[in-house]
Amino acid sequence: MVFAERKECIAMLLAGGRGSRLKSLTEQIAKPAVTFGGKYKIIDFPLTNCVHSGIDTVGVMTQYQPLLLHDYIGKGQHWDLDRLSGGVSILPPHSKPGSTAWYSGTANAVYQNQNFIETFDPDYVLILAGDHVYKMNYRIMLEYHKSVNADCTIAVIEVPIKDAHRFGIMSTDKNDVITEFEEKPEHPKNNLASMGIYIFNWRMLKEYLYEDEKNPTSSHDFGKDVIPSLLRDGKRMFAYRFDGYWKDVGTEESLWQANMDLLDDLHLGFENWHILSRTAGLPPHYIAPTGSIKNTIITEGCEIYGLVENSILSVGVIVEEGAVVKDSVIMENCRISKSAVVEYAILDENVVIAEGAQAGESRAGNGKLNVYSRGTLIETNRFTRRKEDM
Amino acid sequence: MYVGLCLSDPHPDRAGDGSPSRTLSAAYFAGRYHLVDFMLSNMVNSKIYNIGMILNSHYQSLIEHIGMGKEWDLARKSGGVTFFPPYHADERRSVNNELDGPLQRAAAFLAESHHEYVILADSSVVCNIDYRPAIEAHKKSGADITAIYTKKHITAGEREHLIVFKISENGKVIGVDKAGDLSGQINLSLGSYIIPKKTFIQLTAGEKNCGMMHFSKTILAGALDRLVVAAYEFRGYSAHICSPQTFYHYNMEMLDTEKRNALFDFEGRMIFTNARDSLPTKYGTSANIRNSLVADGCQIEGTLINSIICRNVRIGAGAVVKNCILLDGTIVEKNASLDCIISDRMVIISENRNMMGYRTYPVYIEGARVI
Repeated sequence: MVFAERKECIAMLLAGGRGSRLKSLTEQIAKPAVTFGGKYKIIDFPLTNCVHSGIDTVGVMTQYQPLLLHDYIGKGQHWDLDRLSGGVSILPPHSKPGSTAWYSGTANAVYQNQNFIETFDPDYVLILAGDHVYKMNYRIMLEYHKSVNADCTIAVIEVPIKDAHRFGIMSTDKNDVITEFEEKPEHPKNNLASMGIYIFNWRMLKEYLYEDEKNPTSSHDFGKDVIPSLLRDGKRMFAYRFDGYWKDVGTEESLWQANMDLLDDLHLGFENWHILSRTAGLPPHYIAPTGSIKNTIITEGCEIYGLVENSILSVGVIVEEGAVVKDSVIMENCRISKSAVVEYAILDENVVIAEGAQAGESRAGNGKLNVYSRGTLIETNRFTRRKEDM
Repeated sequence: MYVGLCLSDPHPDRAGDGSPSRTLSAAYFAGRYHLVDFMLSNMVNSKIYNIGMILNSHYQSLIEHIGMGKEWDLARKSGGVTFFPPYHADERRSVNNELDGPLQRAAAFLAESHHEYVILADSSVVCNIDYRPAIEAHKKSGADITAIYTKKHITAGEREHLIVFKISENGKVIGVDKAGDLSGQINLSLGSYIIPKKTFIQLTAGEKNCGMMHFSKTILAGALDRLVVAAYEFRGYSAHICSPQTFYHYNMEMLDTEKRNALFDFEGRMIFTNARDSLPTKYGTSANIRNSLVADGCQIEGTLINSIICRNVRIGAGAVVKNCILLDGTIVEKNASLDCIISDRMVIISENRNMMGYRTYPVYIEGARVI
């Protein structure tokens, strides 16, 4: 590093996962690069939270389909993370003497980047995931971590018990000391879910990462391996309760629902806590005399000549005359041609619905959510092919 | 190699949107742009990365907007954007008694640069132009200076600020005049000139007036007997703003999709501006929108017809906004009604208020006023 100041706390953002439950949406891009809320990418949320929490050093560990994600992050200038010391650093897997290794798990990814962390000689390391939509001040969590003299603090949120099996579930005593931790339990005993946000004392974490590396049976995962072994050793582990909006957007349904939540409450920004993002820089959107738009979130570069209801439209979407878009999430640069209908669907980037074609099923008629992969052309006969093949 | 020189206040006695506190080229355009964005983008799109910005008055919001020029790819080690604000150069300490003229402020900047040519640009003109073909044409013509113009039909609005060229059959400028009462198709100056650096420094030595009219009609016209000035025609869309009426007229033209595309989607050249990271815009269930251009960050519950809406505007349920230009942060409360109004930033129109101007005389409401 040309110039590296010592930092009290740095963030390590896990952005290398595919997010395979998002199916075709993450075939060509990593989950953190998936579009959300019209003009954002999922990674905007943890990056913005870091900046607003005064954490100016963020290592972003990438692995799966990183091209778009790397391009999007750039030098970090869109989040004010182009800093003299620190800022955002993209950390892909790399070869070194004696090993050429992919990141084999979340803990292994951090292990492999210990040199990066050591450069800043931090007291604390904040581990973040790149697949949640939320606004959180990590600084308050860090103050809590310090005030209870914890070795590890895990941010937690209460979830409906029926969903608890999808999360890391914790049991705590009355002081919020964690007594038990189960990763995705079949029969959850509690509804206190890990948000995938951890603060560790770096010196201690480093030892545990070394131990974990030596263990041939470990999957090198924070939830499955590192945290259970900390618990076994009786380390001071605390739950930090969060009661704001937090949504896992790891499935097609949850991604659709989290987008729709914005129609009830546009929780993306308030005074001094705007979600920062890289914008396309297109002209404002235009609603034509033939257009109609109700209960919808829309952004720059869109042109609406048709009817749009209960939907989220990203940058540069065109809805032609006579077309209808309902209950849908439409990503960048899609075109809904004349008299076409889109209902209860997610359209990935650059999807074209041909004139008169129908995409999706009526939500009112109990249809299911349809997802259309990026760059596909939906024609009248419902025969689907990729634009590249044309 | 070329260096750009933008005049931020090309018609010093003129306001754009009506705001007395905003230099002309900082006036709003098409919901999210300021006039200066177009000339800066044109320069950058023409690979001109060394730009001087001559400031005259009320330039605070302009400097704030441009900053280091990051959004235009102008935050650079070499080149970028350099501001030339007025300064006092004599013991009386008054900018009005500046010893050097405004254009002379940039003389040292020009002299030091290794660029041979200056592209002088009026940054109140809105267009999407690639200067490179014009520069090629200039080299081929062997002329001393090239003046860029566009053939335009002028029908309405104020005209005395518009500069018209008389062009000879062989494409040379032989006369420079005000549009005055001319009507029909005229050779309208685009306010952009390609001038060798040395010629520019000689022409502007000691000049105290930094206006485009003065430069064209006095300096350039006065030199026509000894300099050959070639005319280069620009065939794209252009808007020429210098009064609340023209501000209103040309902004409203952006509701025409053809004109909008001719400006923003022209030969793949983007118009860059400062990104504010506003939220997306949200329309409520009672929103009723017809023929309007709306920027990000708005929350709209009411009716919107033939209007240009800038960032972070709120329009309450039952409110009707017609033929209006509402600048950043305007709030129109429930059941208010506006027709032909230009509201400056942060204006609040209270519940049930009713205000009206006329298309040829839009009413301007000063910033932060509560009606």
